[in-house]
Amino acid sequence: MAPSAAPTSVEEPFPISRVADRYLLFSIDIISHCRRNHNICGMLVGTIPNLSQQNIFLGIPLEVMPEEARVLVERGAAYIVDDEEVHRKAFEEMSREERLEWLQEMDRRGEELTKSTGELKERRKDKALKEKGLRREVLEKSEGSVADSPASESTIRDDSPSSTESSLGFIMKGSSFSDTAWSEIGASEASLFESAPPSPALSVVVNSASKGTTTQKHFVTPTTSYPPLPNPPQDPEAGLPVVPKSYPLFRYLHSLGYYHMPGLRFGCHYNSYPGDPLRYHSHFAATGLGWDDEFDLLDVVGGGRLATGTKKAYMVGGEDVEAVKRNKAASQGAGLFFDEPSKEKGRETRAFSIEWAAL
Amino acid sequence: MTSLAHTKPAIAPAPLQQSFASHLPQLQSLAIQIQHNLEHQHRWADLHVHTHSPLTNEPLPRPLVSGLPPQRIYIHPDEQVELLKEADRRRKADRTAAEGAGLQVKAEPEREWILPTRLNEKWTLRRLAEVFDAITFVPPAPDTAADTPDRPENPWRTTKRVLLGTADSDSTVVYYIVHDGVVKPRQN
Repeated sequence: MAPSAAPTSVEEPFPISRVADRYLLFSIDIISHCRRNHNICGMLVGTIPNLSQQNIFLGIPLEVMPEEARVLVERGAAYIVDDEEVHRKAFEEMSREERLEWLQEMDRRGEELTKSTGELKERRKDKALKEKGLRREVLEKSEGSVADSPASESTIRDDSPSSTESSLGFIMKGSSFSDTAWSEIGASEASLFESAPPSPALSVVVNSASKGTTTQKHFVTPTTSYPPLPNPPQDPEAGLPVVPKSYPLFRYLHSLGYYHMPGLRFGCHYNSYPGDPLRYHSHFAATGLGWDDEFDLLDVVGGGRLATGTKKAYMVGGEDVEAVKRNKAASQGAGLFFDEPSKEKGRETRAFSIEWAAL
Repeated sequence: MTSLAHTKPAIAPAPLQQSFASHLPQLQSLAIQIQHNLEHQHRWADLHVHTHSPLTNEPLPRPLVSGLPPQRIYIHPDEQVELLKEADRRRKADRTAAEGAGLQVKAEPEREWILPTRLNEKWTLRRLAEVFDAITFVPPAPDTAADTPDRPENPWRTTKRVLLGTADSDSTVVYYIVHDGVVKPRQN
């Protein structure tokens, strides 16, 4: 039910969906795989359907920068899928049997979820009752009837929505609250426990005989399209994601193991982190430039001063076009002249770290 | 035609100009301005203007300054950790001498390259890389400082660095450390 708890392996290459020239990941497994194994964080951009106005808490999909998508594709870890095209084609071709099968699968998962949340509720109730000194064994002998306190009941109800979000998707609870499991008990049974407040409106209990199957029904909405569809085939003509000029610097820093976040907050292209951004401070505010692009020294001064003030270094860098040409020629000539291309190989990407000198 | 090489120029360059012959006069005066600023405002010593690369003996892209700061201008974060550990050991060793004394970090000043620039200039990565390709890790020791014992080269100095001195038209000069490569920031 919860693949996020036990990480399922992700098969590479995995598809990256291109929707309106944005690169999106919809599967939580792939998202965590990217973060764990490829140092790619991306940005969560999806709102939560149930709480769409809470837009500071964003969920899947994850948008990755074109640079990140390109790095993944160049590593052979991913490939780009034109989502619109694939969806139109695949769902038109989907047979009725397949569709029904998938709907049944969704039903089955919903039931599974209902069962497990029911069990969770039971356990919480059990715990709450134990805390109050009312042991469960006694209750079950007396046909599961107990006056619950308003406090424990409300905590259980408040907590339950947290378990309704699984990696399968967002779960809509049935709106009709017409389950027979929740039965009000009469005052006669409450009188067994004189100390409990005899308020029948709040004292509800799960009927242990009918629990699980007829409690609130959950409906699972899948967040991924593959499955139900099989992974779309790789399109050899898809081409690489179009990237800005700062890409060589990104690729270079990424190859050194740095994590990246968008650099807008520090007036640069990328913020580079030496580890997961949740654990580390960023090291560099990096700006990628072309080899012959002119830049103002005022930008260097401003960037350097800001970065040093925020415990970073400002970085400018780019691809040395001459070195790339030389290396290309060397690798072609290597077969002919049998020299040592690795020794002669100049640095293809140069980066300069800038800090305030405090003079 | 043949005598052209032997004819004397109408105006002989001044001795100062001769040493700079490969560079434009505004770049020469800029180097001297930065040298002056370091010497008198920041108390640097052993200042020299370099016109030719110590590596290739080719003319540098522009005259560079080298000098010795009064205290260390840059300590790599890893070196700082080592220095602090060593200072802590030393303090523990003579605990009897001074109880309340703080950590005494000893970092000898090192000679630095200075790249003189003007604020209104435009730079490119190519030109910055050319400067770095033409310099050594540490500026060559000047003849005048021959009496001081040669310091062992700092093992932490693994990337080239220059001090980017940027002068504005009002003669304010700001200094930034530029490393050739990915160097993690200092923990200020």
